[in-house]
Amino acid sequence: MASVAELKAAIDAALQQITEGQTAVQAASEKLTEAQQTLAGALEGSGHETVSAAQASLSQASQELEECLSATLAAVEQAQLYVSTL
Amino acid sequence: MSIVEELGAQVRAAADELPVALVTEALDRLRQAADRLRWVRQESADPMGVPELSAATEHAETAGHTLRVAQDQFAAYLAAIGLAGDGPPAAGQPQRREPTDDQPTAGPGAVPEPRGEAGPVHRWWSVRVTELTGQRDSPEAKPDREITDAEDLLRRVAERVRADDRGQLHAQLRDVPADVGLGMAAVAPPMLRDLAAELLGHPPRAQDLPRLRGELTGKARDLLPGLPAEVLETALSRVCRMPPPKNPTAPPHPADPAVAAGVLTGLLLNRLGRDARSVAAQTLRESDG
Repeated sequence: MASVAELKAAIDAALQQITEGQTAVQAASEKLTEAQQTLAGALEGSGHETVSAAQASLSQASQELEECLSATLAAVEQAQLYVSTL
Repeated sequence: MSIVEELGAQVRAAADELPVALVTEALDRLRQAADRLRWVRQESADPMGVPELSAATEHAETAGHTLRVAQDQFAAYLAAIGLAGDGPPAAGQPQRREPTDDQPTAGPGAVPEPRGEAGPVHRWWSVRVTELTGQRDSPEAKPDREITDAEDLLRRVAERVRADDRGQLHAQLRDVPADVGLGMAAVAPPMLRDLAAELLGHPPRAQDLPRLRGELTGKARDLLPGLPAEVLETALSRVCRMPPPKNPTAPPHPADPAVAAGVLTGLLLNRLGRDARSVAAQTLRESDG
């Protein structure tokens, strides 16, 4: 049978890992934005359908990262709420 | 260095620097956190953020996959303008994992062949599709120039699923360029969830997983007899915002989640009595929303 202290420690460890995940997601988002700008500049004027598809993929990746970050924030909120009730 | 070479170098460097490794790192952390929270949940009925964390993991997985698709698309573009396959990835960048059944010439750093030409990258995709559908390989098969985006492919796959024709499904999937096929893993999941919600009458949740299994698994296995069971289970779990099943074996082949998502979408459309044109309509609604 686990103690409250063990539960809190486990949740704290999970929260720490989520924080590290958030840091990596934010860094990925920044790097992706830079890459999008670079590629937009280099490929300006291209009407190639593969370029449009690739740029759409990058936009989708960016959106997914944003939604990932939002979901982690909600997860943290829920986990912290639970800890406060222990 | 000519102007076109300079452009190619710029595009290649930017594509190689896409943050695939950072997304993988984020995914590892989020999975570890989810494992810990799931352990804690064994002691409590409170969800304590696990469903949200599962959703976050799913978004990170999709982001990572979409970045790899983009890298393939940029490589295809470079190949199309005559700059294929020169030079390794930029220094310090992780080499992309290539499927194990590639031809020997398609190791890390290789780029997709221009659309319309059969080459090693198309080959690994078509070989895997043949395995998944349990059909015979056709050496004379050539990539289909007509299909250039994953949504179009998804619509065509839905048509083949509706016709319950495994041979045609095989031919349709086999002939598309690998990057288009892989793109289904990005466009199908949001539709899958919407269609499942329509079938169930509410957003899919954990308790709906058995019903979705019952509705879809048998027919999916008929169409894709070579698909590992855990890939199907993972796809359905994600529709229900559930963590994927624990899988001690190797990660799935890159083609598997894409093909599974496409076929499941077709099965759900068929189950709801909707035709394949709904794919375009559904996507439009999502972009409006």
